[in-house]
Amino acid sequence: MPLPPASGTGLYYAKAAKSIRLIRQGCTNRPFFHIAVTHRRRLNSQPVIEQLGSYDPVPNIYNEKLVALNLERIKYWLGKGAHVTTPVAEILGLAGFFPIHPRTYMTAWRNRQAEFERLAKEAEASENAQTSS
Amino acid sequence: MSLFIRKLSQNNVKHVVAKHYESQTLIFSSRKLSIVPSVYDGEKDPAPKFFSKNVQVLLKRLTRPDFAKVFRKRKNTDLPVLRTPIYKFLTNEQLESEIAKANKKADKLLQMPPIVKIQKPITDVLSKDPALVGYDTSKFVFTDITFGVANENRIVVERDPDGTLQSCDHEIRKRLNQVYFPIHGRKIKEPLMFTDTEKFNSLLERQEYEFILDRACIQYEPDEFTYQKVTSITYQHVDINTNYNLLRSTRHFGPMTFYLTWHHNIDNLMLELLQSGTVREAVLLVALRHELQADVTNGDVAQTIVQQILPTPVQLTKPDRLTEEDIQLDNKCVECIEKYIVSNSAMKSQHELALQGFREYYQHLIDLSRGLQKAHGKVSN
Repeated sequence: MPLPPASGTGLYYAKAAKSIRLIRQGCTNRPFFHIAVTHRRRLNSQPVIEQLGSYDPVPNIYNEKLVALNLERIKYWLGKGAHVTTPVAEILGLAGFFPIHPRTYMTAWRNRQAEFERLAKEAEASENAQTSS
Repeated sequence: MSLFIRKLSQNNVKHVVAKHYESQTLIFSSRKLSIVPSVYDGEKDPAPKFFSKNVQVLLKRLTRPDFAKVFRKRKNTDLPVLRTPIYKFLTNEQLESEIAKANKKADKLLQMPPIVKIQKPITDVLSKDPALVGYDTSKFVFTDITFGVANENRIVVERDPDGTLQSCDHEIRKRLNQVYFPIHGRKIKEPLMFTDTEKFNSLLERQEYEFILDRACIQYEPDEFTYQKVTSITYQHVDINTNYNLLRSTRHFGPMTFYLTWHHNIDNLMLELLQSGTVREAVLLVALRHELQADVTNGDVAQTIVQQILPTPVQLTKPDRLTEEDIQLDNKCVECIEKYIVSNSAMKSQHELALQGFREYYQHLIDLSRGLQKAHGKVSN
């Protein structure tokens, strides 16, 4: 089945709450996301109002994660009062379009912490190995 | 081997001569692998000169457009069946309008790829946030896909693993533009013919210059270093082997002439023009050199002659009849070239010889056409 047009095919109600969210479009074991605006009460499997970009979470051969954003339309929907979900807000924060999302800082800090602990554990293990031998 | 040659020489002298030439070209080919590319990266910007009207007119005229070559069928991949040409009876006005249409079409086909200075790297750091270190091991590249933005104005930024947000460099920009807004014929990965020197040299040896230049035009931007390197090597190869005719009537002849003139290297081209007996184009070339370098002593004279040459039709073949105006104009051209050779040429003796050859040939032609006029009883004096 061909993809629907980026202008979207979903029904549109002016007064219903909108949300800009990630919609999973990949296949099994290969995630790929559309960034789309849709009604808040609608399921992700239902047609969206408009596609605003895409996000590929799998790094390519140059170790890059590609994100496409239709900033003009994102601005339009934000102006219309669309709600932004956390994952999208994180992406927009990294892009410099929004302030960095607190959850991004949390993740970064947790990752650093985990790395620090891992290194400490390794150092301890190597020390133990030296003393026992 | 020597025995073989001796045997050949006994049988046929011609073969040995051919052999001798072959060995010469072999030496030549090993030397031309070491062509040093020169790009437009100096202080001076070639773009204003290249786009100025005078230079454009000169370059287009020097291309010597032959419509048989401009409109030739290059491929039949889009056409399932080759169409037979259509013949029509036309009135004079219709014919003129058709010719005007063809001229316009040819102008479009012969539009020259621009010559501009090499691009500068983009180093534009937007923000640095050390608190983001450790968020991800790969970098995020964000592309603005807003409708109706030109490729060169598109926002493409990257968030590095160390938390820096910065504008992407040209290489990444080009790749992402190609990902989201593909240009027909351009590859995301560079084609092997440009990256592999052996393949590239083999193309040069086979004199596939137009193929190389056409593909380089699609694959690269004109301000990219690789584009200028590839075209530079190709132009120099054409120049060394005097294969100018392969590029004539194509859109690449103008940029090649510009390149040679810009880098003070027009002597081979001048020699070829004189040897083929197109003095008018030689004067155009002198005028072009004066326009770009302003180092020709009689440049002003050349520029005034150019104004007289431009309205005359393009000489695709050697003329067999001459009018008195033609003779006058050509004599002026010869005088101008004579002065140029004395003052500015770096291959004086060869140019002189070629010019002398042209003079003798031209004298024959003058005698012939004047004699013909006389025989037809058309001479007034």
